[in-house]
Amino acid sequence: MFDLLAAAPALPLDEAGKYVAGAFIVFMVLLVVYVAIMAAKLQRIERELRELASFAESRASSEKAAPGRESETPSISDSLASHGSRGGGAV
Amino acid sequence: MYGKGLRPLSIATVAMLAVSLSLVFFYAPLDADQGFIQKIFYLHVPLAIVALIGFVVGGVFAIAHLRTGNRKWDAYSYVSIHMSVIFGVAVLITGAIWAKASWGHWWVWDEPTLVSFLIVFLMYATYYPFRYAIEDPERQARYASVFAITAGAFVPLNFMAVRMAQSLVHPRTFATANGGLPGEMMLVFLCSLATMALLWVTLVKFELTAKSASGQVKRLRRALDAPAPGGSSRIAPEVS
Repeated sequence: MFDLLAAAPALPLDEAGKYVAGAFIVFMVLLVVYVAIMAAKLQRIERELRELASFAESRASSEKAAPGRESETPSISDSLASHGSRGGGAV
Repeated sequence: MYGKGLRPLSIATVAMLAVSLSLVFFYAPLDADQGFIQKIFYLHVPLAIVALIGFVVGGVFAIAHLRTGNRKWDAYSYVSIHMSVIFGVAVLITGAIWAKASWGHWWVWDEPTLVSFLIVFLMYATYYPFRYAIEDPERQARYASVFAITAGAFVPLNFMAVRMAQSLVHPRTFATANGGLPGEMMLVFLCSLATMALLWVTLVKFELTAKSASGQVKRLRRALDAPAPGGSSRIAPEVS
């Protein structure tokens, strides 16, 4: 690879250069935008998982503290509301 | 499950991208006719080929869905088409840039190759509103599969029709028995094609993994007796 790069001719900076650069930059930008969107989705999934885990833990601890009082167990919507969540749907 | 092998696949894709770009700019000889602008060929044509094959693959997955009734194949079909539409956007933009540099126009309406690809792209662009318009998930998956099969069958027919058309301006990649390309150019082209195919597979796997994780979170939320989150999508099928 290094031999290949060493033997490579210099890129011509004529009129064609900006079009070629434009085409490859467009491709790279599309790729980066896609990866960024996927990263946002994964962050949302991670946040939802964190909320669900904390809810499950709080429910388990409240059941352990007061057995037979399931009716007072908080619903997940209450739990999420107390955390200021928007239901986990928003990014 | 879907994330298995994603890391080595991603590393291989990045490595192949680096090798392909190096070959394009430092190994492939300059075209005698077009000069440096011909470098776009190594990006534009593989993207177009992979996008069109991806549409057909989406149709094949749709056939598997209709035959088995397994929603997994519907998700595969959806993601294949979704990724090919994204590749299609890149094809149209890079093609327009190449056209402007070579012919002096961003778009040429009497060129069969360009117009036929635009027709295929616009046809698949209707896939999303078509899916979204159907509420019932079962019907949505079934109708989307029928669409994917019909449109997937149209792609090779369209390709053959364009090949038979007598074009004067658009170059033919495989115009002659040996491909119409010198050996070095052919090597770089095949490397670029393999890279784009690998990129498509990696991104499809990436998307399926994300959908699978999202589906698992929804299952967990249901198991914890929770209401559905506000951001649930009716377009994209769930993968469990």
